[in-house]
Amino acid sequence: MSADVLSFIIFLPAVVAFGLMITTKNVEAVRNIAFLATTVVLALVLKLYLEFEPSAGMQFVTNASWISSYGINYYIGVDGFSLTILMMIAILIPTSYLLLWEGRTKGYWINLLLVQTGVTGSLLALDVVLFYFFWEVMLLPVFLLIGIYGFGNKVFTTIKVTVYTMAGSLLMFVAILYLGVAFNSEYGYWSFQYNDLMKITTLSYEENIWLFLAFLAAFAIKIPIFPLHTWIMETYKNAPTGAVFLLSSIMAKLGVYAIVRFMIPIFPEIYVEFSMWFVIFGLFGLVYFGIAALMQDDIKRMFAYSSASHLSFISAGIFSLNEYGINGALYLIIAHAIATGALFLLVGIIHEETGTKSIKQLGGIAKTAPIFTVIFAIMLFANVGLPGTNGFVSELLIIFGIYEFNHTLGYISALTVIIGASYMLWMFQRAILQNRDGECLKMRDLKIKEIIGLTPWIILVFLMGIYPDIFIDKFEPTVTHYINDILKIGAMK
Amino acid sequence: MNQLILIMPILIILSASVILMLLSVYDKYSTKNFIVISSIFLIIALGFSIFSFEDMYSIKVYSDIFNNVLIFDSFSNFFTILLILGTLLTILIGEHYFLHRKYFKGEFFTILMFALFGMILLANSNELLTAFIALEIASFSVYVMVGYNSDDNKRVEAIFKYLVLGSFIGAFYLLGTVLIYGATQTTNLSEISTYIATHSGAELNLVYIGITLILFTFLFKIAAFPFQSWVLDVYRGAPMIITAYMASVFKIAIFSFFLRIFLQDIASIIDFWDTIMYVLVILTLVFGTWLAVTQKIVKRMLAASSIVHTGYLLLAFLALGQNGEAAYATMFYLIAYLVTAIGAFGLISHIISETSVRVTYDDFKGLSKERPFLAAMMTIFLLSLAGIPSTIGFIGKFYVFTEAINAGFAALAVLAIFATIVSVYYYFRLIATMYFYPANASCESVGFNDKRVSTYVIAFLAIVTILGGIGSAIVFFIPIPSIDTIIEISQMTVRSLFIK
Repeated sequence: MSADVLSFIIFLPAVVAFGLMITTKNVEAVRNIAFLATTVVLALVLKLYLEFEPSAGMQFVTNASWISSYGINYYIGVDGFSLTILMMIAILIPTSYLLLWEGRTKGYWINLLLVQTGVTGSLLALDVVLFYFFWEVMLLPVFLLIGIYGFGNKVFTTIKVTVYTMAGSLLMFVAILYLGVAFNSEYGYWSFQYNDLMKITTLSYEENIWLFLAFLAAFAIKIPIFPLHTWIMETYKNAPTGAVFLLSSIMAKLGVYAIVRFMIPIFPEIYVEFSMWFVIFGLFGLVYFGIAALMQDDIKRMFAYSSASHLSFISAGIFSLNEYGINGALYLIIAHAIATGALFLLVGIIHEETGTKSIKQLGGIAKTAPIFTVIFAIMLFANVGLPGTNGFVSELLIIFGIYEFNHTLGYISALTVIIGASYMLWMFQRAILQNRDGECLKMRDLKIKEIIGLTPWIILVFLMGIYPDIFIDKFEPTVTHYINDILKIGAMK
Repeated sequence: MNQLILIMPILIILSASVILMLLSVYDKYSTKNFIVISSIFLIIALGFSIFSFEDMYSIKVYSDIFNNVLIFDSFSNFFTILLILGTLLTILIGEHYFLHRKYFKGEFFTILMFALFGMILLANSNELLTAFIALEIASFSVYVMVGYNSDDNKRVEAIFKYLVLGSFIGAFYLLGTVLIYGATQTTNLSEISTYIATHSGAELNLVYIGITLILFTFLFKIAAFPFQSWVLDVYRGAPMIITAYMASVFKIAIFSFFLRIFLQDIASIIDFWDTIMYVLVILTLVFGTWLAVTQKIVKRMLAASSIVHTGYLLLAFLALGQNGEAAYATMFYLIAYLVTAIGAFGLISHIISETSVRVTYDDFKGLSKERPFLAAMMTIFLLSLAGIPSTIGFIGKFYVFTEAINAGFAALAVLAIFATIVSVYYYFRLIATMYFYPANASCESVGFNDKRVSTYVIAFLAIVTILGGIGSAIVFFIPIPSIDTIIEISQMTVRSLFIK
């Protein structure tokens, strides 16, 4: 397959979006074409997935000069990490369209398409400036989505989330420029490719720490890691379903991915030195957000906290310095994206049908919507990490990883996972199962289309849970290789 | 190269202003005719200046007549092209505004041409007094344009403030020139530079003081701290399209002359002003940001944010001392700001042409539903001003910050980034106002006719803004100069400064 297939995967949604913007006003046509475009992307990614050679490192590379006076290249490629996440994005987006099928406007679909270009672009970019380019651009459609289609105090929310996340990424931007300048003064030519920036040796320890923190600001806000989480509650509560889905199950994961892709390779010694702190922060976030989730009444806010809690756990896994932890984190990224994405979409249906998202006012949904309840339960158990689901495999791996990193923290992490189960099941019992006093809620069951959309997700939940090897095999060589490199460089420096 | 061809652009502009003045006596020529005539002259002048842009040169034209006061090199040519292009764009984008304001008659275009003449002269000056005269020709024309239609109270205030302060600061320039003359017995830049090279220590004291005084004028004209206070009222009071002109084109003219001085003539002693410039950059950024956040009127917000952009430009200017590459960053940023600011201000002038209300944030509510095309264009310009990737403003910021860090001013770059973070807030607030609120009942759509020159120019500028940010290296099938080309051109023009 030609190497340009990645460019095609990145830009097809945006091109389709711009085409739709100027050609048709018919919402159904827009939706159908958007769905078709994302399905084409899915087919291409599937083909890519099968052709990918796990042990061969970076593949399908395109490296063309973009701004040659500063050595900025259009440099994209895919390895085990990005391929796995790319596959996840490609599957989740078209199927989620099936759940968003009715009652959207043209702008909604166009913005969804634009987000896809942004996320796949930043996922595949290997030049840091190019990465920054996509990283910022993907925010604009989300800004519009929340502002136009959101609920409550949506304008304030959308400006808050935009300024908050841009503050982080602009700090990262300075750090990127600083690295570029350092590279130029050491090697005499400009380059912003991540594998070139890794070679910088002239930076002092303090400089490295500041740069590391600047990068962390961008990613920790997006993930979010405690204490930079204050934007997500309002945002997840007020944003429309599509935007919440994208933010929680795809964009937040990109923050984790970017840590793995850029931060750790560029600052390996800082990563090694401060890993203990980050694991502790991660575990603290897991507990803190978990307890906060227990106390929420708004179901979307509760999921926001639950999502933050899991992502803290993922980042703890990333910083645990070993293969188990990183494999598990990567696996949990996928598992969590599927489970949380599905739950947010299902909650979106609850909200649209019944008009409420307060746990106290909900109830009795199991009776009126049995299929809905079954799927909801499956995703919930996957999220909690019940054995047999993908959540179990990944949480187990991370716990192993943290245990190997530090025994005490390992025990703590094993215990704290229970918090996740408690708030989830309690919510499930109150909002879905338990009978409601007074009138029944007007809740419909899932339509065929929605069930079809969710079927691949359910299959993945169990397939990944029961037979994880077929997936892990694709990215494990990359991880092994990666860990060896990082620890070697870290020890050397 | 033929010297006549080199001075053709400036001659054409001068004769255009005279011809327009004569024509404006007759009533039978409408405003439309004047727009067409001045555009034709500008296009011819542009043609001549692009024609001579092939290779590097540096010629002191007719040195026996002008006694070396004028210099024509690729550097000045670069700026001449920008100035003419900027004026052309201003006229075309303001077409709608001009036609719906009764007071824009023939004389106005005469003054505009005189202003342009002064600016081109300034870009070509090689002598302090010539530069002063050129600067004053341009400034006085701008004063008149700011005060055009003086039955508006705000406008009277604006012109009076600007005129008094501008003349006052002009006196500093003259004093500086006198002091330099006292030390060096010359006002010719090349000779001053020779003097600086051959003397040192206390002999240079007067030169230091003189140049500092001249710098005051520079800082005033580009509205840097502590001379920024006039900007808000003047920009607010002036006709919208003149605000656009001042914010972009006039600023470029000022920078063209001072870049020349800094790069060519006083490069060896430039370190002297580092500390004061360092402080000024900080204060300009902080004050500009603070002003911009607190404004309720969109025009004032854009005016205040132009102070912040001045701060970025000064940052690149400061980096010049350590790192000559920063000159290209300055030049690129000027181009980026030219395109975006003319676009943004021009678009607002286009919107208010017929209605005359849209000035506060509230007035922009629901624009995306009334006029989705214009709202989209405005969004592009605002994104570029905020420096979001995929716009030319981002590349401009990229260069400026990179060169600032390269010159060792990382702390300032971080401060500038904080200013950018705040700017995201006030620019995005306007986008949010346009898109997320329903329209005010009073401003219901009344069938706008958007098929006119102004709209096409706005669309053109928006496309340039996007292409300038993406670059034709990726969009390879569009044969326009890519980002690299602009940088290479500026490198070439800067090199032409050093031809002896």
